[in-house]
Amino acid sequence: MDLEQLRKIAAEVVAREDVNYLIGWKQGTYGYRVAPVFIEDPADASELIFSPLCTANLATYLTLVEKPPLPRGQEPDTRKVALMVKGCDSRAVAQLLVEKGINREGVVIIGCPCPGMVDHSLLAEKYPETEDLAEIKWDGEGFLLLRDGEEVKLDRYEVLAEKCRLCRYPNPLVSDILLGEEVEPWEPEEDSGVTEIEDKDIEGRWAYWEEQFANCVRCYSCRNVCPLCYCEDCILDRLNPDWINRSVNFSENTAFHIARAFHLAGRCSECGECERVCPANIPLGRLNRKLAREVRDKYGFEPGLDPEAEPFQASYKPDDPEDFIL
Amino acid sequence: MSAMLLNKEKWAEFVGKLAGKTIWAPRTDGEELRFLPLENGEVPEFDYNNTRVPPKQAVFPQTETMFRFQLGTEELEQPQLEEEMIVFGIRPCDARAMAIVDNLFKWDVEDPYYLKRREKTTLVGLTCSDPGLNCFCPSLGGGPASTEGLDLLMTDLGDSYLMEALTEKGETLVAETKDLLDKAGTDAQKNKDTLVKEAEKKINRSIDTAGIPEGLPGLWDHLLWRNVSASCLGCGTCTYLCPTCHCFDIQDETEGFEARRCRMWDSCMFAEYTMHASGHNPRATRQERTRNRINHKYSYYVDKFDTIACVGCGRCINLCPVNIDIVDILKQVKEAL
Repeated sequence: MDLEQLRKIAAEVVAREDVNYLIGWKQGTYGYRVAPVFIEDPADASELIFSPLCTANLATYLTLVEKPPLPRGQEPDTRKVALMVKGCDSRAVAQLLVEKGINREGVVIIGCPCPGMVDHSLLAEKYPETEDLAEIKWDGEGFLLLRDGEEVKLDRYEVLAEKCRLCRYPNPLVSDILLGEEVEPWEPEEDSGVTEIEDKDIEGRWAYWEEQFANCVRCYSCRNVCPLCYCEDCILDRLNPDWINRSVNFSENTAFHIARAFHLAGRCSECGECERVCPANIPLGRLNRKLAREVRDKYGFEPGLDPEAEPFQASYKPDDPEDFIL
Repeated sequence: MSAMLLNKEKWAEFVGKLAGKTIWAPRTDGEELRFLPLENGEVPEFDYNNTRVPPKQAVFPQTETMFRFQLGTEELEQPQLEEEMIVFGIRPCDARAMAIVDNLFKWDVEDPYYLKRREKTTLVGLTCSDPGLNCFCPSLGGGPASTEGLDLLMTDLGDSYLMEALTEKGETLVAETKDLLDKAGTDAQKNKDTLVKEAEKKINRSIDTAGIPEGLPGLWDHLLWRNVSASCLGCGTCTYLCPTCHCFDIQDETEGFEARRCRMWDSCMFAEYTMHASGHNPRATRQERTRNRINHKYSYYVDKFDTIACVGCGRCINLCPVNIDIVDILKQVKEAL
């Protein structure tokens, strides 16, 4: 993608009277890091980037926005928020629209067709991160890493993020402005992570998740980063009744993760952020993709494809296969 | 006491001498390296940079049962904290963190749970030979072989560990295992010095903290807080993985008629941390909470205990999902002063 074009369009969007700010990606503070950035002044649009390191889904900031009490007489700012989205991110936005979590009039969606993102930890494992800022570009089928004055060609599947290996929708499904040309979707891989667990017997699955959930420190980064976890009153924060105890142990951690997974069934847009941010390396994507697979197989429904769709849980189709009901 | 050498081949025997004590050491659990009590015969993994979750949980568990009781009765059952513990392989930064946090748990009210555990714990450090990308411990007064908070410092010299006792607890440990230890020569000390110098060279990040503690209160309404917190998700990663963060919450939990009062780590980055019963929240936004995190470490704690509550371990930088970087924040603070 042409960065000059991106920055020019972004500056124009931010300059619009009806736009408050734009959420995009910028170069981080070191190494391979990329950070979310909020552009309020068109002059700052020059900070924006779009590279294979822009893995983060920024859609969460649409609902994470805080509304502290305003001083008397001050009106809330109702201008639009502009958001840069990849294909997977756009599914989260579409699902938010379906659920009326956001208003269509309240957002300007800038679509970025995405040839695939790099898994930061895979990359750092193979090419250790240094303090110096590194750049990565798409290069034919693979990637080109530029750091310390040298160029390293990377094979696509050496560092491609798991969510991108499985990706079926690299192009934004909902957008107001599309940056550059749409990309040709690639053949998604079979989701071996989910299949691996499906293939275990009940005891094997339990043992697998027991080991994973025992490591959870309950930092809630998975919940907070999730664009579709936006309940104002989350059961995790409830003290009376305390549906899930504050005690950190396998039992309570499991209750937390199962509750979250079920709340996301038929809603999860498979952006993989929960797994990316987990400091305990819990493969949460597998859990959410398992439920997505169930919903797809049993109801023929995929969330986030159509912003006009009826929410999955709120719809009824007389011709549902229902082959799982005895 | 002079420095001693422990041949690595004698490790199993060495640990055998310490029978009856719980040995915490880094070991791989699943795919994750963490500090855990060693099972019989398990060999710790000392070839590591640092664990993601700090070893503070050995003395300050994430969830601690203060007492148990049956609903409807008045009898309380208190846990016995008589276990002797040795934490092997703790990095000097994490040991310094414990020394810093000790101040708090000894302050106005003495915390029996924490202090009892600390009293019964021997901290055996491991000199850092390969500091991580975001380590900046020298900026906070630490270093790859800093000894603050440690009872004994081990240094990996290839075939053996150099063992330097630093306190009475450390000397006791050496005395208990003296049959297995050899006296270290001057070359061992020299090798250690070279190793430490090499390690220091690998530390790239730094911050000059001069003026920050005094200057922070004056930056209360500064725009920098808005900028550095804009992308904050409000999760607890930075605080839960911080070796000096020590805030906790206390809850009563029940299962049927079984009840317990327990305390668990809490995080100032959570909205409910300061939520009042009235519904009013004095730190209503992530901006205020981020400001508090920095102020607590670099200003309030300094006022109270004359030490910065950060050891430069770099965990919060490594693991922040959105690249909120404390060194970068501190640089902005310095510029704003």
